[in-house]
Amino acid sequence: MVEVVGLRLRNGKTICLIVLFVIMALVIPLSSMAAQESGNFALLPEALDLAEVADHSETLVLAARVEMAGGTSGESDSEWGDESITPPEFEEEEMVTYADPLEPINRIFFAFNDKLYFWLLKPIAKGYSKVVPEPARVGVRNFFSNLLTPVRVVNCVLQGKFKGAGTEVLRLIINSTVGFLGFQDVAKQEGHLKIQQEDLGQSLGVYGLGPGIYINWPIFGPSSLRDTVGMIGDAFLDPINYAVTRTKYNIAVKGYDKVNKTSLTLGDYESLKKAALDPYVAVRDAYFQYRRNLIKK
Amino acid sequence: MKKYGIVAGIILVTLALAGTYLVYAGEPTDQIKKTTDKIIEIVKSPALKALDKEPERRRLIRKAVDEVFDWEEMAKRTLGRHWRRRSESEKEEFIYLFGKLLERTYLDKVEGYSGEKVIYIGERVEGDYALVKVKILTKQDREIPVLYRMKKKAGKWMVYDVCIEGVSLVNNYRTQFNNILVRSSFKRLIEKLKAKVGES
Repeated sequence: MVEVVGLRLRNGKTICLIVLFVIMALVIPLSSMAAQESGNFALLPEALDLAEVADHSETLVLAARVEMAGGTSGESDSEWGDESITPPEFEEEEMVTYADPLEPINRIFFAFNDKLYFWLLKPIAKGYSKVVPEPARVGVRNFFSNLLTPVRVVNCVLQGKFKGAGTEVLRLIINSTVGFLGFQDVAKQEGHLKIQQEDLGQSLGVYGLGPGIYINWPIFGPSSLRDTVGMIGDAFLDPINYAVTRTKYNIAVKGYDKVNKTSLTLGDYESLKKAALDPYVAVRDAYFQYRRNLIKK
Repeated sequence: MKKYGIVAGIILVTLALAGTYLVYAGEPTDQIKKTTDKIIEIVKSPALKALDKEPERRRLIRKAVDEVFDWEEMAKRTLGRHWRRRSESEKEEFIYLFGKLLERTYLDKVEGYSGEKVIYIGERVEGDYALVKVKILTKQDREIPVLYRMKKKAGKWMVYDVCIEGVSLVNNYRTQFNNILVRSSFKRLIEKLKAKVGES
């Protein structure tokens, strides 16, 4: 049990670091943007001790072990959570029905998004992927993901996942500098610091708010009432919305992000459609399952 | 002396934790690993790469998958309470079509294999049931968590559900099937399945 105490102590230290890093986190993205202009990487932290990062991840591994042995819960992907091993009898398998009073409209938007994908997004993404090699596209994806760190930090904090918030701040610092403005995920590759997939919809879920009704937005796709509120809230933490205020440029940047992401997942939607008897129902169910799983973590 | 006692205590606790950690790499994981390795070998095999070898390749993959997938248990769970009302021949046909549907989807995925790595995270066993956690590392630097739900059948661990990023395949199909069953009929469901696997 001494390990557990050890963890607590380290936690304390981590929290101090977080406070420090949150302050730095506010400064660094701006500075690194300036650094890009001048090609000056003076902010590259010599002081950044990768050993300490490794140490941090060791703590996570240890925490995971403690958890696996039936200890406390935390944010580690080795965690089993409340996943039941023995399933219910097959007859008792739940027949899930979701609140979907907007189904007729949702189905129209679903069909719209389907066409949007096949007629517009996919051809563009395909052409784009012929011109831009995959590693570059992965880099662009990482870059946009790095920009969204504030969303993840704030939502980690909102859910009391302070270790996760610390991880995200560390990731931001490492990836914005050594990782060339976030194009490379050095934090994950070298420090085993993994992205903490958190957003406001999940935070509200953790607070006990149910998803409410299902909403299939045109362009944005599957969501729920709760997650729509979350999406709007998170938009306030998206730096792009502050850096690019002219609507048409904002849409252009977001559109590019979308095309780039799509270029990396070409074929996923197709195989989902191919495997489904009713793609609309399949997507709706997958969305609810996926979100519930994220909230549980 | 008391100090040594504490140290010994720490060591013991650590060992105990490490112990529980290590014990979890047993039969269910081996089963998954064996099949995964076999399939990767088939997909990578230069002798089977040629286009005209496709039927042969698909047959071999299906064979490997059949060894570890419990189609009946899967099919049963996708129907849930609707299962018992079906006649034996209906059940048989349903299992067959469901297997075909998954085969198509699964084979497409597997055929697109391009050096993804599979990492075995751990397993948990409770009587005749087990969970095996795996992670797929894609070329695009993404990690896809996969959870296999397994059941021991005649002494062998068989998969009856696969959860990808928290989305259970069986639950997803159950929702779809139920949606069709409550609105129309079992006959309609079979028709739809047949149309989907191209056998109508």
